[in-house]
Amino acid sequence: MGPISSLITMPGWLEMLIALLIGTGFGFALEQAGFSSSRKLVGMFYGYDTTVLKVFFTAAIVALVGSQFLSYFGLLNLSQVYVNEYYAGASIIGGIIMGAGFIMGGYCPGTGLSALSIGKIDAVVFALGGFTGAFLFGETYPLIQNFANGSYKGAEKIDEALGISTGLFIFLLIVAAAGMFWIGELAEKKFARPDITGEI
Amino acid sequence: MNPREKLSAILISLGLILALLPLSSNRSFNARPEKVLEEILDPEITVTADQTARLVASGDNSFQLIDLRSREEFRAFNIPGSVNIPYNEFLDTDPHQILKNGKSINILYSNGDIYSNYAVTIARGLRYNNTFAMKGGLNEWFNTVMNSAFSGERISARENALYEARFRARKLFTEINSLPDSLKQKFIESKRLAAKKLDGGCE
Repeated sequence: MGPISSLITMPGWLEMLIALLIGTGFGFALEQAGFSSSRKLVGMFYGYDTTVLKVFFTAAIVALVGSQFLSYFGLLNLSQVYVNEYYAGASIIGGIIMGAGFIMGGYCPGTGLSALSIGKIDAVVFALGGFTGAFLFGETYPLIQNFANGSYKGAEKIDEALGISTGLFIFLLIVAAAGMFWIGELAEKKFARPDITGEI
Repeated sequence: MNPREKLSAILISLGLILALLPLSSNRSFNARPEKVLEEILDPEITVTADQTARLVASGDNSFQLIDLRSREEFRAFNIPGSVNIPYNEFLDTDPHQILKNGKSINILYSNGDIYSNYAVTIARGLRYNNTFAMKGGLNEWFNTVMNSAFSGERISARENALYEARFRARKLFTEINSLPDSLKQKFIESKRLAAKKLDGGCE
């Protein structure tokens, strides 16, 4: 058994509709979790609120553990699940730019749109900045093309690169995550700021 | 226990179970389109029918022939020592279970070149660089191995070795394919079992 889109041939509009519904649900969950507040999000950088780390890391691990169990019981064919290709240099530079944008703007792309949907003015500015960046990227792409496509590593997974078994890698990742959650909570106590829940 | 500790405990327990389970460690399809194209156009990824015949005749056990034709076609005749993985099955199941068999060479064949070349492209993309396609498939096998006859007055040592290998492979091919269906089926089953054994579990 594979992912739904590889099992059933769906018309394009239905795929888009499913994507819209999933996206809406994701955006709604982000907003409800308080992720439309830039102060909550940048708390990750200053250490007073590590919800972002906890939520996204937990989501990734739950998906990882779930997909591996489904695969083990023959309910999901993981070889049909798309693995994003890795361009080492571009990922590092892109990550730095994204991190800088995150701390300056107070949002990451998804949470920025979530905040935009409830009409936050800073999110409007953030979205305009995002579109400007996308436009500049498109216009300057010929200049950076070689760099962007260089140091291509393929759709390699970390366990493959390290040469360890998938199960062991997952276990180590979970232990690392649990450790980070613990450090995150220590940081929250150390850098505590007045509760802003009422303001967001 | 606070929620963070509870969640961590549950996830670590699940992680421990996963670490102990024999998960199939899939390799990712790992090649740029242009690199794949370059590689499949390289004659190095094919073996000739003669090379295959030599391996078959030698009784060497370090290679695996994989027949990508349908089950019916496989049952009608096949190269001795082949296992049958119809091309659609090759795509639908996890190719790693087929290719990670501990053999030093995997040789894929179908009737012609198309399916074996597709399958080799996938295998090479998954970095199973010990996978080759038999050039020309069974059509070429019949032309070269089954229907060849030496014509000439003097045979050189090299030609002699070539025709000897062809003759032995042809003899084996005829013997096995002339077995009654019941025995042939048993023969195929035994080959499948032998291939299954090699899949392993804890890799």
